[in-house]
Amino acid sequence: MDYSALLYDPVFDAIGVPATFNAVSITVIDDTRPVTNPAGSGEVRSVGPGAFARIPELAAAGIARDAYIDATLAFNGRTWTVRSYELRGNPNGEDAGEVRFLLKAADGG
Amino acid sequence: MADVREEILARLVEVLATIPNIRLARRNNLSHTEDQLPAAILFDGDEDTDDASDASMRPPLRPTMVTMTPEIVIGEQSSEAGSDLSTLRRELIKRVLTDTALNETIVKTGRNGNGAIRYLGCQTDFGDGRQLNGSLTARFLFKYALKPQEL
Repeated sequence: MDYSALLYDPVFDAIGVPATFNAVSITVIDDTRPVTNPAGSGEVRSVGPGAFARIPELAAAGIARDAYIDATLAFNGRTWTVRSYELRGNPNGEDAGEVRFLLKAADGG
Repeated sequence: MADVREEILARLVEVLATIPNIRLARRNNLSHTEDQLPAAILFDGDEDTDDASDASMRPPLRPTMVTMTPEIVIGEQSSEAGSDLSTLRRELIKRVLTDTALNETIVKTGRNGNGAIRYLGCQTDFGDGRQLNGSLTARFLFKYALKPQEL
């Protein structure tokens, strides 16, 4: 079973958005979520910007894993910096899975 | 009627609002958003006396000394949240400890009063949001006279 062809590609075709990863064009799924951070006895509500990308697409575009951190990722009208990432492997192996980029805004972003 | 505790807490919020760049200065505000940062939130403090160990014949309406320990949370979100919090902490401590109204008018209740204001310390918390999110909880001690007959 080819997870990329059967699962990821139709989903990315449907809800993916165009993006640039260090000026290289890719497709991502916007996964920005709400986050709440503790602040003493209270809490601060913010957002946790994130995006899913297909590792095979990144590899085909010449984007290796060691280029993920600190890369500039732009999509949906905003530009972010990759601060970390999570690998989402599948039965075809981690290199055939997805990566979830954990993002941060530059000052003023 | 003179409620020193309430006067201190009300004045503290006014002092917080004078810290440079603070967007939100509020009391007991449990939740705020990133758009309101930097924020300074006062949480009303616990109050203690030594009267539990005083089983003398002292009349109950005689004045007694009270210590209150409010917490002030400073929050900021930026790529340099740590150094920003250090700046805000410095301004906070300076303003609270040197505030004339707190020192002379309220806590010491006059030049010969025996009240006191102390900075006890702080704790920090950090997390990831749109940017690095940081908070600093500063604890202060206020010692003042509780005069039941003036309440």
